[in-house]
Amino acid sequence: MLVVLAGGALVAAMIYGAYRNGLWPPLEKAVISWSLAFVGVVIGAVVWQLRPESRTGLYLVAWPLVGLVSDFPVVFSASRLAVTLGYLVSDAGVLFIALLVLTYPSGRVTSQLDRVLIWIAGAFAAVYGLVNVVLFDPRPQYDATILVLQPHAVPLTHIGSYDATGIRNALDAVLGILAVVFLAVVLRKLVRATPGGRRVVLPLAAASGFAAAQYLVQILVFGGPVNSWTNDSWFWIVTLTAFAIPASLAAGLLWGRRARVVVADLVVELERTPPGSVRDALARALGDPTLELALWLPDRRSYVDADGRPFALPTGSQRAITVLGPADAPVAALVHDPVLLERRALLSSVAAAARLALENERLQAELRAQLAELRVSRARIVEAGDEERRRLERNLHDGAQQRLLSLGLALQLARAKLGPDANGAADLLQEADEELRSALDELRELARGIHPAVLTEQGLTAALRTLAERSSVPVALGALPDHRLPPATEAAAYFLVAEALTNVAKYAQATRVRVQVAHEDERVLVDIDDDGVGGADPAKGSGLRGLADRVHALDGELELRSAPGCGTHLRAEIPCA
Amino acid sequence: MRVALADDAAVLREGLARVLADAGLDVTAQVGTADELLTAIAASPPDVAVVDIHMPPTWTDEGLVATEEIRRRFPEVGVLLLSQYIEADYALRLLDGSGAKVGYLLKERVLDVADLISALERVANGETVVDPALAAQLIARPREETTLDRLTPREHEVLALLAEGFTDRGIAERLFVTQNTVETHVRHIIGKLGLPAAPTDNRRVHAVLAYLRSA
Repeated sequence: MLVVLAGGALVAAMIYGAYRNGLWPPLEKAVISWSLAFVGVVIGAVVWQLRPESRTGLYLVAWPLVGLVSDFPVVFSASRLAVTLGYLVSDAGVLFIALLVLTYPSGRVTSQLDRVLIWIAGAFAAVYGLVNVVLFDPRPQYDATILVLQPHAVPLTHIGSYDATGIRNALDAVLGILAVVFLAVVLRKLVRATPGGRRVVLPLAAASGFAAAQYLVQILVFGGPVNSWTNDSWFWIVTLTAFAIPASLAAGLLWGRRARVVVADLVVELERTPPGSVRDALARALGDPTLELALWLPDRRSYVDADGRPFALPTGSQRAITVLGPADAPVAALVHDPVLLERRALLSSVAAAARLALENERLQAELRAQLAELRVSRARIVEAGDEERRRLERNLHDGAQQRLLSLGLALQLARAKLGPDANGAADLLQEADEELRSALDELRELARGIHPAVLTEQGLTAALRTLAERSSVPVALGALPDHRLPPATEAAAYFLVAEALTNVAKYAQATRVRVQVAHEDERVLVDIDDDGVGGADPAKGSGLRGLADRVHALDGELELRSAPGCGTHLRAEIPCA
Repeated sequence: MRVALADDAAVLREGLARVLADAGLDVTAQVGTADELLTAIAASPPDVAVVDIHMPPTWTDEGLVATEEIRRRFPEVGVLLLSQYIEADYALRLLDGSGAKVGYLLKERVLDVADLISALERVANGETVVDPALAAQLIARPREETTLDRLTPREHEVLALLAEGFTDRGIAERLFVTQNTVETHVRHIIGKLGLPAAPTDNRRVHAVLAYLRSA
């Protein structure tokens, strides 16, 4: 606040001084220029207040103040102290622009290149000031188009009028080169910035980039700084450019201020955020669409995402990680744009606001992780069961059946050798032969029930046709897939239809069943509809329950509609890419 | 009659060879894989090859694939395919892809030597043989209203024999009627079921089986 008061007093004094001077500098221009500088000071003070951890506010205040002081020789040309001060800081603006832009938004220097540039700008400002203070000679150096100073505005340290035109031209040229380098650095910053960082840096970079560019034009066109007091168009360009920098920061500031409101909004929003959406709410609140949320599961000592899938925290500098909660027992970790690190206060207040929701989210994720594991292991068990059934079926066919057949052939040979009558042995062999045949029949049916070979060999469609041919209730087959499906899906669909047809035959008193299998949109739909009496109850221990388990193990759904008198409609929906 | 045997179960293969040899057939080769069978046929062509549908390496339809190959390379050699269980798909594929001189029997039929030899003779004579169990299963398949209901009992008997691949003469012999009578029945059946008037060969059997399967 003191700074604002001091700035205000300074501007008032300068305007009064200009008024006393009468003709010089032009009063209306002075009022506009210095008022805008005062607004700049106010903005800087507000930023300083809001973000005390960042030095940006300090630089923002310092820059327009320095600008005001550098106008001292014009206003207070009679005071040698004021003139000296003014000359001393006449190009200090270069240093503050460099500081502002290169350290924004943290106010800290982050790269070696930036540090070097700032040192160069500082050294340049110092040299320029010294040259002015020591070697000043107002008379020969300026004509009307360039800066005009009263001949009697002489600094305290003046040691003798000296034609410093050569030095000043050289310094101006250096300043031009600095402007080019600065432009390049700003561009590089923009290109390299993360998307979030770019949004923060862009307004300031544009304003300061423009400032550097217009200065370059002055150097190239006029060979030195333009006297903006006498040149109307350049007055506006210089003044507005100077104001654009605090103004662009005000834009950034608005974005920053919004965050406070956002934390409050977040608290309200989290109240009605459904589980699994806390990340979205946080991403909105922090303004980082790339935000990822990793939830800590203490039991596993690892992070998972909201769906309970394992989540590996990224390494490297592209992403920043903020762990929420105590370090030894974190609740969650935010993986976010590194630019948010500059706003730790926001980050921690958002995290605090979301604490309860995150706890909830974590419990949900834990549950989901367990469910996912359960589902996978269930699918594995069903698959292993299918595999075992296939193996059994193959063994029955290739082992037992072949042996029984060989035995049968041996019986045939024995009967042939014995002839028609051998003390009744032929009759015994005949009986043995009949036993053998029923054993073969039973074996075949057993193998089919365990796992029909046609399903493995020919696929679901062929297997369903066979099933339909053997059903005791007429089966109308609708559309069936013309391609093979994953074995677990085929097995689930097959056993579902088989069980359903058995149930229809046993209970439904139906005159027909319609079976249809459709593979569409990454899922398989199995429909079995009969026109029987309905009233089927999956709870009554029919095989339906086991089938529901089988379908669920594949992450599918089983739906049964069986109102009395309306037939039974069974539909399974099984995910299948 | 010269017969080659292909079955990966050696015990069964040898047993079958002995039974057939005892019945007076000439077993020219006993092999365990489709490749060996093709080599054996090239070396000494039999009248009929008896082929197990399941053979190495995948034990799925190697026998069926081998049959198509044999019918293409050695058209004079008939093939009797044995299957551990009955699948209409296999039968239709066999009749569709291999032309005549093929048969499809349940493996257990080897226990009825007389029937087996009669099937071998029919195949050797250029007829088509379909296992009676498959024909019966397809005919008995539960249907709602069907054109099969419009067949007389006698025509039903004829239809079953048609489905088993019998020629008109074969049917006549089995039903103890004249060939003319059978031809009349067949004409009626074809008319009532709307089947294509196919000549007396495997195409007729295929049409009948396909009809029974879908109707």
